[in-house]
Amino acid sequence: MIIRLKDINKTYPGAVPLHVLKGITLDIDRGELVSIMGASGSGKSTLLNILGILDNYDSGEYYLDGTLIKNLSENRAAELRNRMIGFVFQSFNLISYKNAMENVALPLFYQGVSRRKRNAMAMEQLERMGLADRARHLPSEMSGGQKQRVAIARALITRPSIILADEPTGALDSKTSGDVMQVLRNLNSEGMTIVIVTHDPGVGAQTGRIIRITDGLITQ
Amino acid sequence: MKHQIFDIENWREIGATLSRNKTRTFLTAFGIFWGTAMLAMLWGGAAGLEGLLRRNFDGMATNMGACFPQRTSMSYRGFNKGMNWQMDDSDITFIRRTCPYIEYSSTMNFGGAVVKYGTRNNAGQVQGVESDFFKIQIPVLFEGRFINESDVAQTRKVAILGKNVAAELMGAEPAVGKYVSVNNIYFLVIGVVGQRGEASIGGRLDNAVIIPSTTMRRAFNYGDKIHFFLYTALHGHSPKEIEPAVWRAVLTHHPLNPADKEAIWFLDVSEQFKMIDNLFIGISLLALFVGMGTLLAGIIGVGNIMWIIVKERTQEIGIRRAIGATPADIITQILSESVVLTTIAGIAGICFATAVLAITDTMTYDPLYGSAHFQLTFKHAITIMTAFLVLGTGAGLIPAIKAMRIKPIEAMNDK
Repeated sequence: MIIRLKDINKTYPGAVPLHVLKGITLDIDRGELVSIMGASGSGKSTLLNILGILDNYDSGEYYLDGTLIKNLSENRAAELRNRMIGFVFQSFNLISYKNAMENVALPLFYQGVSRRKRNAMAMEQLERMGLADRARHLPSEMSGGQKQRVAIARALITRPSIILADEPTGALDSKTSGDVMQVLRNLNSEGMTIVIVTHDPGVGAQTGRIIRITDGLITQ
Repeated sequence: MKHQIFDIENWREIGATLSRNKTRTFLTAFGIFWGTAMLAMLWGGAAGLEGLLRRNFDGMATNMGACFPQRTSMSYRGFNKGMNWQMDDSDITFIRRTCPYIEYSSTMNFGGAVVKYGTRNNAGQVQGVESDFFKIQIPVLFEGRFINESDVAQTRKVAILGKNVAAELMGAEPAVGKYVSVNNIYFLVIGVVGQRGEASIGGRLDNAVIIPSTTMRRAFNYGDKIHFFLYTALHGHSPKEIEPAVWRAVLTHHPLNPADKEAIWFLDVSEQFKMIDNLFIGISLLALFVGMGTLLAGIIGVGNIMWIIVKERTQEIGIRRAIGATPADIITQILSESVVLTTIAGIAGICFATAVLAITDTMTYDPLYGSAHFQLTFKHAITIMTAFLVLGTGAGLIPAIKAMRIKPIEAMNDK
């Protein structure tokens, strides 16, 4: 069991407090390819942020690879994000003035890996994504599909426990969407646990399990 | 172990951020450059200005005093007010015997003089002084020597010419060893002197003929009368402390009303110097005040620019944090940018100020006085740099810490 959520509650405070997650209980096994689907406002993004240790929750328990994720300090959260989680975002979130290789290598920079070593590892990941010839290109010189594959390479470089993808195909046309999904499925077949948040049923259909969220509760 | 500082990536990132908006980086750098340059120029300039003003008093002992008799303003023992009186040898002997605070002293007599050499002549002033006179008012000796104790004791007919007098009579020829006639009495020239500063007692030395006091009194019939008495106080005492002894002496020998403070005129140069010192304290304070202003303006500039840089990079900071940058990583990165900018621009500013000061120093250089010290000490330069670095970093710290308050996920969605 790589992810274990027990009765997770999350309320956004405000003039009218917003109870977003109303008791989520969920287990994800190692090696699963799971999609979380729901309408906008259903709480699926909030759930992803909690899974990614980008946001905290009010009550319940979240174990990631056996580690209880609760009330962590910023530094500890940053370290766990760095080592255990690989993010893939809808808008790629690459750093515009760094080339593909430097972008991929960036998580290792924060681990204190030497420049030579991390660049070599980044090249390895880029080759795996079939982007070795694009290593010196800036994000602005690449297509959407290429950028997303660079982002996936960056997510993989620290050998994380899981990959969290937030609408990974949201900004791509249907052909490149298919390519990116193929990449993710290949990774999954190699044993990587992947959680994809999407509202696209086509994407959901390609995953092993679909978790539907409605109004802060898992409906199936 | 992380060692970001030594990672070339870190430096390339700093370069990349700073060069992304060149105009803005330039303007900020210019603000810091100007701030440090102004501060350095004010500091060095104040020192140089002081040096320039001090030149006016160069060659004058700073603890000098002088006195000379004036007409009385009160009647006393049957003597009417408005009486003229003169100091004489008995007063001086009494003063020198009773006052313990005198370091050097000299009597002084003045007279008009027509000085002749060959067919040329010069109308000026003759001054009779004792040997210690040259320790009270230190002149520049161009040729020969000063008047010494033997000259005074033996009533030698020797003379020192002011440099203007010597130039007029002898031109470029050496004056020492020649005989000049002063009011038709011949004197052997033993030296040529010039005045250092602008301030002098009893006329500029440059235009005077100086002879031993004893010779002066004998040759020109002054008897035992003294026109002027000059003195310096011992270290730790002021010329003011000598005045009561002088007053006691003249009261003993002359029919003066003890309440008549106008009967004798006292000069205390140390008072003037105190005023000058106050002036310099004022100038320094002004320089400090203006300097603080420029410093503040420069710092606010850095803070402002760091604020904009952080705002602009909110999304990037979010991405970095999502992939595992700790708050310390991010703050280090932002601060190193402001440190690099401040260091480069600050050093440039100090170099510029040093160049300006050096040019000023060269322009105000005087062969007689030397440099006016338009200079910035290393200590001051380091102080300025440290102040800018510390405050500039502090100014960058505030936006950096504020940036940490934004959650990574919100930061990433910032456009």
